[in-house]
Amino acid sequence: MAVEEHVSELLPAYALDILDESEARTVSSHLAGCSGCRAELRAYRQVVEEMPLAIAQVDPPAELRGKILQQAASLKKPAAAQPSKNWWQELKTRLLPAAPVWGMVSLVLIVLLGASNLFLWQRLNQVETDHNRLATVPLMDTDLIPGATGMLVISADGEHGTLVVDGLPVLDPSQQYQLWLIKDGQRTSGGVFSVDEEGYGSLWISSVEPLASYQGVGITIEPSGGSPAPTGERVLGGEL
Amino acid sequence: MSLDTALGQLVDDRKLNDETLLRLIAQAQQSALGELYDRYSRLVYSMALNSVDDPALAEEITQDVFLRIWNKATTYQVEQGKVMTWIASITRYRSIDMLRRLKVRPEGNRAVWAEEDDELFESIDPIDIEEEVQLNQRSDTIRKAIAELPKDQRQALTLAFFNGYTHAEIAQILNEPLGTVKTRIRLAMQKLRHTLRY
Repeated sequence: MAVEEHVSELLPAYALDILDESEARTVSSHLAGCSGCRAELRAYRQVVEEMPLAIAQVDPPAELRGKILQQAASLKKPAAAQPSKNWWQELKTRLLPAAPVWGMVSLVLIVLLGASNLFLWQRLNQVETDHNRLATVPLMDTDLIPGATGMLVISADGEHGTLVVDGLPVLDPSQQYQLWLIKDGQRTSGGVFSVDEEGYGSLWISSVEPLASYQGVGITIEPSGGSPAPTGERVLGGEL
Repeated sequence: MSLDTALGQLVDDRKLNDETLLRLIAQAQQSALGELYDRYSRLVYSMALNSVDDPALAEEITQDVFLRIWNKATTYQVEQGKVMTWIASITRYRSIDMLRRLKVRPEGNRAVWAEEDDELFESIDPIDIEEEVQLNQRSDTIRKAIAELPKDQRQALTLAFFNGYTHAEIAQILNEPLGTVKTRIRLAMQKLRHTLRY
Protein backbone atom coordinates (compact mmCIF):
# COMPACT_ATOMS: atom_id res chain seq x y z
CA MET A 1 0.00 0.00 0.00
CA ALA A 2 1.34 3.43 -0.92
CA VAL A 3 2.40 5.71 1.92
CA GLU A 4 -0.01 8.47 0.88
CA GLU A 5 -2.91 6.10 1.46
CA HIS A 6 -2.04 5.56 5.10
CA VAL A 7 -4.15 7.23 7.74
CA SER A 8 -1.39 8.20 10.20
CA GLU A 9 -2.58 11.78 10.50
CA LEU A 10 -6.03 10.67 11.63
CA LEU A 11 -4.87 8.03 14.09
CA PRO A 12 -4.38 10.30 17.14
CA ALA A 13 -7.96 11.56 16.82
CA TYR A 14 -9.21 8.04 16.08
CA ALA A 15 -7.59 6.84 19.31
CA LEU A 16 -9.38 9.67 21.14
CA ASP A 17 -12.60 8.60 19.39
CA ILE A 18 -13.36 12.12 18.20
CA LEU A 19 -13.44 11.66 14.42
CA ASP A 20 -16.70 12.27 12.64
CA GLU A 21 -18.46 9.24 11.22
CA SER A 22 -17.09 9.32 7.68
CA GLU A 23 -13.49 9.87 8.83
CA ALA A 24 -13.84 7.06 11.36
CA ARG A 25 -15.13 4.74 8.61
CA THR A 26 -12.17 5.60 6.39
CA VAL A 27 -9.73 4.80 9.19
CA SER A 28 -11.51 1.58 10.14
CA SER A 29 -11.46 0.20 6.63
CA HIS A 30 -7.78 1.12 6.21
CA LEU A 31 -6.85 -0.50 9.52
CA ALA A 32 -8.36 -3.78 8.45
CA GLY A 33 -5.57 -4.23 5.91
CA CYS A 34 -2.64 -2.31 7.38
CA SER A 35 -0.68 -3.78 10.25
CA GLY A 36 1.61 -0.73 10.40
CA CYS A 37 -1.27 1.64 11.11
CA ARG A 38 -2.75 -0.84 13.58
CA ALA A 39 0.52 -0.80 15.51
CA GLU A 40 0.57 2.98 15.44
CA LEU A 41 -3.00 3.10 16.67
CA ARG A 42 -2.12 0.80 19.58
CA ALA A 43 0.57 3.26 20.62
CA TYR A 44 -1.86 6.20 20.58
CA ARG A 45 -4.45 4.18 22.47
CA GLN A 46 -1.88 3.49 25.17
CA VAL A 47 -1.36 7.23 25.45
CA VAL A 48 -5.11 7.76 25.86
CA GLU A 49 -5.21 4.99 28.48
CA GLU A 50 -2.53 6.71 30.53
CA MET A 51 -3.99 10.19 30.36
CA PRO A 52 -6.23 9.61 33.42
CA LEU A 53 -3.03 9.32 35.45
CA ALA A 54 -2.44 13.01 34.87
CA ILE A 55 -5.74 14.44 36.01
CA ALA A 56 -6.21 16.49 39.15
CA GLN A 57 -8.11 14.31 41.60
CA VAL A 58 -10.83 15.47 43.93
CA ASP A 59 -12.82 13.55 46.53
CA PRO A 60 -16.40 12.57 45.74
CA PRO A 61 -19.08 13.44 48.31
CA ALA A 62 -18.67 11.27 51.42
CA GLU A 63 -22.21 9.90 51.29
CA LEU A 64 -21.85 8.59 47.74
CA ARG A 65 -20.15 5.34 48.78
CA GLY A 66 -23.04 4.26 50.97
CA LYS A 67 -25.57 5.25 48.33
CA ILE A 68 -23.86 3.15 45.67
CA LEU A 69 -23.45 0.09 47.89
CA GLN A 70 -27.06 0.34 48.96
CA GLN A 71 -28.22 0.53 45.37
CA ALA A 72 -25.97 -2.37 44.36
CA ALA A 73 -27.53 -4.47 47.10
CA SER A 74 -30.98 -3.75 45.77
CA LEU A 75 -30.10 -4.73 42.21
CA LYS A 76 -30.61 -8.30 41.20
CA LYS A 77 -27.40 -9.64 39.74
CA PRO A 78 -27.80 -12.20 36.97
CA ALA A 79 -24.94 -14.24 38.33
CA ALA A 80 -26.26 -14.44 41.85
CA ALA A 81 -29.57 -15.44 43.26
CA GLN A 82 -29.18 -13.52 46.50
CA PRO A 83 -27.31 -10.32 45.77
CA SER A 84 -28.54 -8.52 48.83
CA LYS A 85 -26.14 -10.44 51.01
CA ASN A 86 -22.48 -9.70 50.90
CA TRP A 87 -20.04 -12.54 50.51
CA TRP A 88 -19.22 -12.71 54.19
CA GLN A 89 -22.86 -12.89 55.07
CA GLU A 90 -23.33 -15.50 52.38
CA LEU A 91 -20.55 -17.67 53.69
CA LYS A 92 -21.80 -17.19 57.22
CA THR A 93 -25.35 -18.15 56.28
CA ARG A 94 -24.20 -21.24 54.49
CA LEU A 95 -21.88 -22.32 57.23
CA LEU A 96 -24.05 -21.65 60.26
CA PRO A 97 -25.78 -25.04 60.19
CA ALA A 98 -22.45 -26.79 60.01
CA ALA A 99 -20.00 -27.45 62.80
CA PRO A 100 -17.48 -26.22 63.61
CA VAL A 101 -18.71 -22.91 62.26
CA TRP A 102 -15.69 -20.84 63.23
CA GLY A 103 -13.33 -23.43 61.85
CA MET A 104 -14.62 -22.77 58.37
CA VAL A 105 -14.68 -19.03 58.84
CA SER A 106 -11.07 -19.35 59.91
CA LEU A 107 -10.26 -20.99 56.60
CA VAL A 108 -11.56 -17.97 54.78
CA LEU A 109 -9.42 -15.79 56.97
CA ILE A 110 -6.37 -17.98 56.51
CA VAL A 111 -6.76 -17.86 52.78
CA LEU A 112 -7.52 -14.21 52.52
CA LEU A 113 -5.48 -12.76 55.32
CA GLY A 114 -2.49 -15.00 55.10
CA ALA A 115 -2.90 -16.05 58.71
CA SER A 116 -1.51 -19.40 59.61
CA ASN A 117 -2.72 -20.21 63.09
CA LEU A 118 -6.32 -21.22 62.64
CA PHE A 119 -6.77 -24.88 61.75
CA LEU A 120 -10.22 -25.93 62.85
CA TRP A 121 -11.44 -25.57 59.29
CA GLN A 122 -9.65 -28.74 58.31
CA ARG A 123 -12.45 -30.74 59.87
CA LEU A 124 -14.86 -29.39 57.35
CA ASN A 125 -14.21 -30.80 53.93
CA GLN A 126 -17.65 -31.39 52.54
CA VAL A 127 -19.88 -28.66 51.22
CA GLU A 128 -23.46 -28.72 50.19
CA THR A 129 -24.12 -27.96 46.55
CA ASP A 130 -27.07 -25.73 47.04
CA HIS A 131 -27.31 -23.85 43.77
CA ASN A 132 -29.17 -20.98 45.40
CA ARG A 133 -26.15 -20.16 47.51
CA LEU A 134 -22.51 -19.42 47.10
CA ALA A 135 -20.61 -22.70 47.39
CA THR A 136 -17.16 -22.89 48.93
CA VAL A 137 -14.77 -25.80 48.77
CA PRO A 138 -11.75 -25.93 51.08
CA LEU A 139 -8.59 -27.39 49.58
CA MET A 140 -6.29 -29.64 51.64
CA ASP A 141 -2.52 -29.52 51.56
CA THR A 142 -0.34 -32.57 50.93
CA ASP A 143 3.02 -33.74 52.23
CA LEU A 144 4.64 -31.92 49.33
CA ILE A 145 3.83 -28.43 50.68
CA PRO A 146 2.49 -28.73 54.22
CA GLY A 147 0.68 -25.63 55.43
CA ALA A 148 -0.52 -24.51 52.02
CA THR A 149 -4.18 -23.53 52.01
CA GLY A 150 -6.78 -22.88 49.37
CA MET A 151 -10.42 -22.40 48.66
CA LEU A 152 -12.76 -22.51 45.70
CA VAL A 153 -15.66 -20.09 45.70
CA ILE A 154 -18.27 -21.27 43.18
CA SER A 155 -20.84 -18.91 41.75
CA ALA A 156 -24.47 -19.28 42.71
CA ASP A 157 -25.36 -20.83 39.35
CA GLY A 158 -22.55 -23.38 39.65
CA GLU A 159 -21.04 -22.28 36.36
CA HIS A 160 -17.91 -20.38 37.36
CA GLY A 161 -15.66 -19.86 40.30
CA THR A 162 -12.60 -18.32 41.81
CA LEU A 163 -9.66 -20.15 43.30
CA VAL A 164 -7.72 -18.46 46.09
CA VAL A 165 -4.55 -20.02 47.50
CA ASP A 166 -2.09 -19.05 50.17
CA GLY A 167 1.16 -20.45 51.49
CA LEU A 168 2.40 -21.86 48.20
CA PRO A 169 6.07 -21.24 47.37
CA VAL A 170 7.05 -18.96 44.50
CA LEU A 171 8.08 -21.17 41.58
CA ASP A 172 10.91 -20.93 39.12
CA PRO A 173 9.80 -18.78 36.12
CA SER A 174 9.74 -21.93 34.00
CA GLN A 175 6.97 -23.39 36.16
CA GLN A 176 3.39 -22.54 37.15
CA TYR A 177 0.68 -24.02 39.28
CA GLN A 178 -2.14 -25.68 37.35
CA LEU A 179 -5.65 -26.38 38.53
CA TRP A 180 -7.25 -29.65 37.47
CA LEU A 181 -10.98 -30.30 37.44
CA ILE A 182 -11.74 -33.95 38.04
CA LYS A 183 -14.74 -35.90 36.77
CA ASP A 184 -14.96 -39.69 36.43
CA GLY A 185 -11.19 -39.94 36.77
CA GLN A 186 -10.62 -37.50 33.90
CA ARG A 187 -8.64 -34.34 34.60
CA THR A 188 -9.38 -31.15 32.71
CA SER A 189 -7.28 -28.02 33.09
CA GLY A 190 -8.98 -25.20 34.98
CA GLY A 191 -6.16 -22.76 34.29
CA VAL A 192 -2.66 -21.89 35.40
CA PHE A 193 -1.52 -19.33 37.92
CA SER A 194 1.46 -18.08 39.88
CA VAL A 195 1.72 -16.76 43.42
CA ASP A 196 3.25 -13.60 44.80
CA GLU A 197 6.08 -13.40 47.30
CA GLU A 198 3.68 -14.03 50.15
CA GLY A 199 2.44 -17.22 48.54
CA TYR A 200 -0.89 -15.70 47.59
CA GLY A 201 -2.53 -16.34 44.24
CA SER A 202 -5.93 -16.40 42.61
CA LEU A 203 -7.49 -17.71 39.44
CA TRP A 204 -10.79 -17.04 37.73
CA ILE A 205 -12.04 -20.45 36.62
CA SER A 206 -14.10 -20.60 33.49
CA SER A 207 -14.67 -24.21 32.51
CA VAL A 208 -16.53 -25.63 29.54
CA GLU A 209 -18.84 -27.56 31.84
CA PRO A 210 -20.38 -26.11 35.00
CA LEU A 211 -17.91 -26.20 37.87
CA ALA A 212 -20.46 -27.80 40.11
CA SER A 213 -20.59 -30.82 37.78
CA TYR A 214 -17.03 -31.84 38.71
CA GLN A 215 -16.27 -34.21 41.57
CA GLY A 216 -12.98 -32.80 42.73
CA VAL A 217 -10.06 -30.49 42.04
CA GLY A 218 -6.29 -30.75 42.34
CA ILE A 219 -3.37 -28.41 41.90
CA THR A 220 -0.01 -29.55 40.55
CA ILE A 221 3.24 -27.87 39.52
CA GLU A 222 3.64 -27.87 35.75
CA PRO A 223 5.83 -26.26 33.09
CA SER A 224 4.93 -22.60 32.57
CA GLY A 225 1.77 -22.28 30.49
CA GLY A 226 0.42 -25.60 31.73
CA SER A 227 0.33 -29.22 30.59
CA PRO A 228 -2.36 -31.14 28.71
CA ALA A 229 -2.49 -33.59 31.64
CA PRO A 230 -0.93 -33.50 35.12
CA THR A 231 2.76 -34.35 35.23
CA GLY A 232 3.59 -33.12 38.74
CA GLU A 233 2.46 -34.29 42.14
CA ARG A 234 -0.57 -32.77 43.80
CA VAL A 235 0.11 -29.88 46.17
CA LEU A 236 -3.51 -29.03 47.06
CA GLY A 237 -6.78 -30.85 46.46
CA GLY A 238 -10.40 -31.01 47.43
CA GLU A 239 -13.71 -32.78 46.87
CA LEU A 240 -16.69 -30.92 45.43
CA MET B 1 -11.69 -12.92 66.03
CA SER B 2 -15.14 -11.67 65.08
CA LEU B 3 -16.25 -11.60 61.50
CA ASP B 4 -16.42 -7.81 61.50
CA THR B 5 -12.90 -7.55 62.86
CA ALA B 6 -11.70 -10.02 60.26
CA LEU B 7 -13.36 -8.07 57.48
CA GLY B 8 -11.86 -4.85 58.77
CA GLN B 9 -8.43 -6.45 58.83
CA LEU B 10 -8.88 -7.75 55.31
CA VAL B 11 -9.75 -4.28 54.06
CA ASP B 12 -6.94 -2.69 56.06
CA ASP B 13 -4.44 -5.20 54.73
CA ARG B 14 -5.69 -4.53 51.18
CA LYS B 15 -4.74 -8.07 50.42
CA LEU B 16 -6.79 -8.55 47.27
CA ASN B 17 -5.63 -7.27 43.92
CA ASP B 18 -7.95 -5.51 41.48
CA GLU B 19 -8.60 -8.55 39.32
CA THR B 20 -9.57 -10.64 42.33
CA LEU B 21 -11.91 -7.89 43.51
CA LEU B 22 -13.63 -7.93 40.12
CA ARG B 23 -14.01 -11.69 40.26
CA LEU B 24 -15.61 -11.40 43.66
CA ILE B 25 -17.86 -8.60 42.42
CA ALA B 26 -18.91 -10.88 39.57
CA GLN B 27 -20.06 -13.24 42.28
CA ALA B 28 -22.14 -10.50 43.92
CA GLN B 29 -19.76 -9.92 46.82
CA GLN B 30 -20.59 -6.44 47.94
CA SER B 31 -17.57 -5.92 50.17
CA ALA B 32 -15.39 -6.22 47.09
CA LEU B 33 -17.36 -3.45 45.40
CA GLY B 34 -16.76 -1.25 48.45
CA GLU B 35 -13.03 -1.88 48.27
CA LEU B 36 -12.92 -1.16 44.54
CA TYR B 37 -14.84 2.06 45.19
CA ASP B 38 -12.27 3.08 47.80
CA ARG B 39 -9.51 2.60 45.25
CA TYR B 40 -11.08 4.28 42.23
CA SER B 41 -13.87 6.62 43.27
CA ARG B 42 -11.57 9.68 43.19
CA LEU B 43 -10.46 8.83 39.67
CA VAL B 44 -14.01 8.23 38.44
CA TYR B 45 -15.51 11.28 40.12
CA SER B 46 -12.67 13.54 38.99
CA MET B 47 -12.87 12.37 35.38
CA ALA B 48 -16.63 12.85 35.37
CA LEU B 49 -16.38 16.29 36.98
CA ASN B 50 -13.73 17.40 34.51
CA SER B 51 -16.00 16.30 31.70
CA VAL B 52 -19.42 17.62 32.72
CA ASP B 53 -18.30 20.43 35.05
CA ASP B 54 -21.26 19.84 37.34
CA PRO B 55 -20.87 18.12 40.75
CA ALA B 56 -24.39 16.65 40.74
CA LEU B 57 -23.93 15.16 37.28
CA ALA B 58 -20.47 13.90 38.20
CA GLU B 59 -21.99 12.17 41.20
CA GLU B 60 -24.64 10.58 39.00
CA ILE B 61 -21.98 9.35 36.57
CA THR B 62 -19.86 7.93 39.40
CA GLN B 63 -22.87 6.06 40.71
CA ASP B 64 -23.68 4.77 37.25
CA VAL B 65 -20.09 3.63 36.62
CA PHE B 66 -19.87 1.59 39.82
CA LEU B 67 -23.29 0.05 39.29
CA ARG B 68 -22.20 -0.91 35.77
CA ILE B 69 -19.13 -2.55 37.26
CA TRP B 70 -21.39 -4.34 39.71
CA ASN B 71 -23.53 -5.68 36.88
CA LYS B 72 -20.86 -6.19 34.24
CA ALA B 73 -17.80 -7.34 36.17
CA THR B 74 -17.87 -10.64 34.27
CA THR B 75 -17.20 -8.80 31.01
CA TYR B 76 -13.77 -7.65 32.16
CA GLN B 77 -10.93 -9.62 30.57
CA VAL B 78 -7.36 -9.35 31.79
CA GLU B 79 -6.22 -9.21 28.15
CA GLN B 80 -8.08 -5.89 27.78
CA GLY B 81 -5.62 -4.20 30.11
CA LYS B 82 -5.50 -3.10 33.70
CA VAL B 83 -8.63 -2.72 35.78
CA MET B 84 -7.87 0.98 36.18
CA THR B 85 -7.81 1.40 32.41
CA TRP B 86 -11.11 -0.43 32.08
CA ILE B 87 -12.77 1.71 34.73
CA ALA B 88 -11.36 4.95 33.30
CA SER B 89 -12.62 4.00 29.86
CA ILE B 90 -16.14 3.27 31.15
CA THR B 91 -16.08 6.62 32.95
CA ARG B 92 -14.91 8.60 29.94
CA TYR B 93 -17.54 7.19 27.61
CA ARG B 94 -20.29 7.46 30.20
CA SER B 95 -19.39 11.12 30.78
CA ILE B 96 -19.32 11.91 27.07
CA ASP B 97 -22.66 10.12 26.61
CA MET B 98 -24.13 12.26 29.37
CA LEU B 99 -22.86 15.46 27.75
CA ARG B 100 -24.35 14.47 24.40
CA ARG B 101 -27.63 13.38 25.92
CA LEU B 102 -28.10 16.58 27.89
CA LYS B 103 -26.73 18.72 25.06
CA VAL B 104 -24.65 20.72 27.53
CA ARG B 105 -21.36 22.16 26.38
CA PRO B 106 -18.81 22.94 29.09
CA GLU B 107 -15.89 24.73 27.52
CA GLY B 108 -13.11 23.03 29.37
CA ASN B 109 -12.08 25.92 31.59
CA ARG B 110 -11.54 23.81 34.70
CA ALA B 111 -8.01 23.16 35.95
CA VAL B 112 -8.27 19.51 34.98
CA TRP B 113 -4.65 18.42 34.78
CA ALA B 114 -2.64 17.88 37.93
CA GLU B 115 0.12 20.30 38.78
CA GLU B 116 3.61 19.00 39.24
CA ASP B 117 3.52 19.39 43.02
CA ASP B 118 0.12 17.70 43.45
CA GLU B 119 0.28 14.35 45.18
CA LEU B 120 0.98 11.47 42.86
CA PHE B 121 -1.66 9.09 41.69
CA GLU B 122 -3.08 7.08 44.58
CA SER B 123 -1.96 3.48 44.96
CA ILE B 124 -3.99 1.32 42.67
CA ASP B 125 -3.19 -2.31 43.09
CA PRO B 126 -1.62 -2.50 46.50
CA ILE B 127 -0.64 -6.11 46.21
CA ASP B 128 2.03 -5.30 43.67
CA ILE B 129 4.40 -2.67 45.05
CA GLU B 130 6.65 -2.78 42.01
CA GLU B 131 3.70 -2.02 39.78
CA GLU B 132 2.67 0.83 42.05
CA VAL B 133 6.11 2.40 41.78
CA GLN B 134 6.00 2.10 37.99
CA LEU B 135 2.53 3.61 37.93
CA ASN B 136 3.65 6.59 39.97
CA GLN B 137 6.55 7.10 37.60
CA ARG B 138 4.19 6.97 34.61
CA SER B 139 1.86 9.38 36.34
CA ASP B 140 4.72 11.78 36.94
CA THR B 141 5.93 11.46 33.35
CA ILE B 142 2.57 12.10 31.71
CA ARG B 143 1.80 15.02 34.01
CA LYS B 144 5.02 16.70 33.03
CA ALA B 145 4.45 15.91 29.36
CA ILE B 146 0.98 17.45 29.41
CA ALA B 147 2.23 20.45 31.42
CA GLU B 148 4.91 21.05 28.80
CA LEU B 149 2.49 21.10 25.87
CA PRO B 150 1.90 24.53 24.38
CA LYS B 151 -1.24 26.02 25.91
CA ASP B 152 -3.26 25.92 22.69
CA GLN B 153 -2.45 22.24 22.13
CA ARG B 154 -3.30 21.35 25.71
CA GLN B 155 -6.61 23.20 25.47
CA ALA B 156 -7.63 21.35 22.30
CA LEU B 157 -6.54 18.00 23.74
CA THR B 158 -8.48 18.64 26.94
CA LEU B 159 -11.69 19.30 25.02
CA ALA B 160 -11.11 16.14 22.98
CA PHE B 161 -10.26 13.87 25.90
CA PHE B 162 -12.76 14.96 28.54
CA ASN B 163 -15.63 16.13 26.37
CA GLY B 164 -15.26 13.92 23.31
CA TYR B 165 -15.79 16.85 20.98
CA THR B 166 -15.04 16.37 17.29
CA HIS B 167 -12.50 18.53 15.50
CA ALA B 168 -15.30 20.69 14.12
CA GLU B 169 -16.89 21.20 17.54
CA ILE B 170 -13.56 22.14 19.09
CA ALA B 171 -12.88 24.56 16.22
CA GLN B 172 -16.23 26.19 16.87
CA ILE B 173 -15.67 26.45 20.64
CA LEU B 174 -12.17 27.88 20.25
CA ASN B 175 -13.10 29.97 17.24
CA GLU B 176 -10.16 28.59 15.31
CA PRO B 177 -9.89 27.13 11.79
CA LEU B 178 -10.63 23.40 11.55
CA GLY B 179 -7.17 22.63 10.15
CA THR B 180 -5.50 24.41 13.05
CA VAL B 181 -7.42 22.34 15.60
CA LYS B 182 -6.59 19.09 13.80
CA THR B 183 -2.92 19.99 13.80
CA ARG B 184 -2.92 20.95 17.50
CA ILE B 185 -4.48 17.69 18.59
CA ARG B 186 -2.23 15.63 16.36
CA LEU B 187 0.91 17.40 17.57
CA ALA B 188 -0.13 17.07 21.20
CA MET B 189 -0.73 13.34 20.85
CA GLN B 190 2.53 12.86 18.98
CA LYS B 191 4.45 14.61 21.74
CA LEU B 192 2.79 12.53 24.46
CA ARG B 193 3.49 9.36 22.52
CA HIS B 194 7.10 10.35 22.11
CA THR B 195 7.52 11.21 25.80
CA LEU B 196 5.84 8.01 26.93
CA ARG B 197 7.97 6.08 24.42
CA TYR B 198 5.17 4.20 22.72
